[in-house]
Amino acid sequence: MPERVVLTIGTKKGVFVAQASNTRRRFALRGPFGQGVGVYATLIDTRGRPTLYASSCNAFFGMKVLRSTDLGKTFKETKSAPAFPKEDGRALANIWSLEAGGDRKDLWCGVEPASLFRSEDGGDSWEMVPGISNHDHARKWQPGNGGLCLHTIVRDGNRMHLGISTGGHYLSEDGSKSFTASNQGVGVGFAPDPFPEFGQCVHKIARHPDAPARLYMQNHGGFPERPDIGVLRSDDHGRTWRSIAKGLPSDFGFPIVVHPHDADTVYVMPLDASTRTCPGSAPAVWRSENAGESWKRLARGLPKKESYFTILRDAMTIDELKSPALYFGTTTGQLWIGRDGGEEWSCLFESLPPIHCVKVAVV
Amino acid sequence: MTITIRVPPPLRACCDGASELSLSAPTVRAALEQLERSHPSLYSSICDETGRVRRHVNLFVNTSHVRDRDGLDTALAPGDVLTILPAVSGG
Repeated sequence: MPERVVLTIGTKKGVFVAQASNTRRRFALRGPFGQGVGVYATLIDTRGRPTLYASSCNAFFGMKVLRSTDLGKTFKETKSAPAFPKEDGRALANIWSLEAGGDRKDLWCGVEPASLFRSEDGGDSWEMVPGISNHDHARKWQPGNGGLCLHTIVRDGNRMHLGISTGGHYLSEDGSKSFTASNQGVGVGFAPDPFPEFGQCVHKIARHPDAPARLYMQNHGGFPERPDIGVLRSDDHGRTWRSIAKGLPSDFGFPIVVHPHDADTVYVMPLDASTRTCPGSAPAVWRSENAGESWKRLARGLPKKESYFTILRDAMTIDELKSPALYFGTTTGQLWIGRDGGEEWSCLFESLPPIHCVKVAVV
Repeated sequence: MTITIRVPPPLRACCDGASELSLSAPTVRAALEQLERSHPSLYSSICDETGRVRRHVNLFVNTSHVRDRDGLDTALAPGDVLTILPAVSGG
């Protein structure tokens, strides 16, 4: 079967699926799926037969996990969703992250309040991961504007990186049994101590699979008196971090994305820290091809003025074709594609519900 | 002590499409505990994992909201109807 490019688009009103041939000329849209409620996390699991997953954040009836085995033509609820043990006292408020694990049916799920769950049967049953969920710091973390969420799970064999807002970056090197706050160089602008042990408002962490020691972080920046905390890089598996924000119009933003074929190429979407919209009302993705030493603005085809949207932490992604395309979704419901690595932008869909997350896979 | 539970349309998938269920229980709490065993997906849509009724779900015994009676300890009598309703949505 010829290659297909599949997008999952999590929105305020359910999940949509868009599909195109590998030319990416025209995407066909399906959906919305779910009960018309918010979808903050999706996963396109390409281990074996492609399976799509989506969280479903039902304010009335609680959290669900949706699964599709027909490439997003239909979705059904899994047999259960993550849930805290009864005696724990916490109740699930949202599902922020779904990631594939090592074994074929192994899934990881980050939730609000910040905790980690694991499924070994493709999402039908879930177990809380105590090493982070019951970490000594867990009851001291504070919610950010989006809630107290474990939103990023980056796996590298026995190593696992977690992003928690606001908790910071936590690292496990023993297969997620135990976690250590690993925030040296990750700053905050909202506490007297600019570099605490934990409590940072990490927005997103990304890495290239072939360069596991190199990580990129979009942290909560935008503090003029602390200019070096927003966009960061680690070259030692996340033990220490340093600023790579020089040259960007703002070090505030949410997503950070790594090129699929080049660990030195990284993309961010700088936002004005106060309005959380694009600087000068002119959206642009910024690309570095030297691991953050310098940046180039990519805006050809994007609006030049009067655009006041936000791109949320999981709303930008990149496909893995030879000449990859970037995609970002906006809080005003547009889905944009940046062909040729973001050199040329066009709008795929103009009037979706507010977009929370976008994932892509070539299947 | 048989009572009827009325299930709203969005939750009927949790009980094979049934709009009503019958069971025997002396209180609302006991009825929910039975649902937890017999229809776990329906139960988890009504109560969170701490056992609290979800914020936007309302439970009525006949025409009375349980909060205006004895909450989950509201007694049930034979023939009572326990209605599950999502709160009004919109503004």
